Amino acid sequence: RYVRQLQRLQLLFSPTAGDARGARQFVEEAALDFARQHPDVVLYISPRFGAAPLLLAEYLNGTVREELIANKTSEEIVQLATKLAGQSGLDIIRIRKPFHTDNPSVQGQWHPLTNKPSALTVRGPRLQAQ
Amino acid sequence: MVVLSAALWLRSRLTDRFWRVQEVLKHARHFRGRKNRCYKLAVRSVRRALVKSTKARREKKRFLRALWITRIEAASLEHGLKYPAFISNLLKSQVELNRKMIADLAIYEPKTFKSLAALAQRRRQEGFLAALGDGKEPEGIFSRIVHHY
Repeated sequence: RYVRQLQRLQLLFSPTAGDARGARQFVEEAALDFARQHPDVVLYISPRFGAAPLLLAEYLNGTVREELIANKTSEEIVQLATKLAGQSGLDIIRIRKPFHTDNPSVQGQWHPLTNKPSALTVRGPRLQAQ
Repeated sequence: MVVLSAALWLRSRLTDRFWRVQEVLKHARHFRGRKNRCYKLAVRSVRRALVKSTKARREKKRFLRALWITRIEAASLEHGLKYPAFISNLLKSQVELNRKMIADLAIYEPKTFKSLAALAQRRRQEGFLAALGDGKEPEGIFSRIVHHY
């Protein structure tokens, strides 16, 4: 079953600053709908003074992503929040290989003694008492 | 009334020079020498680095293929076969594995690779018999071709 990787979303904004207007409109109009559509994400709304409005997203693997929402409209914040809700907490860097295995070798990985006669490695039972 | 451009006496200052410079320098942070700090040198180095990375995508395919061929050659020599004999006989036995997979098998699945080498060796012997024996011996088993229509 699908487990949503987003744990909690913290909406930090100032009740009076001008660039938090979109955040305030989001809180008034769209926050409840967002919370109802994503029941497994906890939405914290905390007003704070004197700092830029932030959207903090914490994921199940511990990564914390901060997104600035200054001078964004309410719809843009909704889109951003749905995008964060669909992400997992993995780092957004170039993936080196599109595949990964925990068990790459079934028959045993090659080492320089695989195709040599086993007299080189195996010490058999001593035939004569020395 | 419609105003298309600002008035002549209106001046403006460049206020985000720092961030424009940082956009270039962030791609140069892992370089050696002054080009990871000084903007003028970094601009040239970053542009060259990006151009080289686009051109190298074509070279990467050639390089990796050569690497796989080296590895397959080393592995097949361990089993007493040379690379051209191994590859040609595998193709004649209708084993259509590309070099990447054969190289991975040689590293991670040595027994499978040994059986592939034995198959190629057997097909080689049957090829020699068919060419030199002239008709009296029965046809080789691994020389039979399966048609998928």
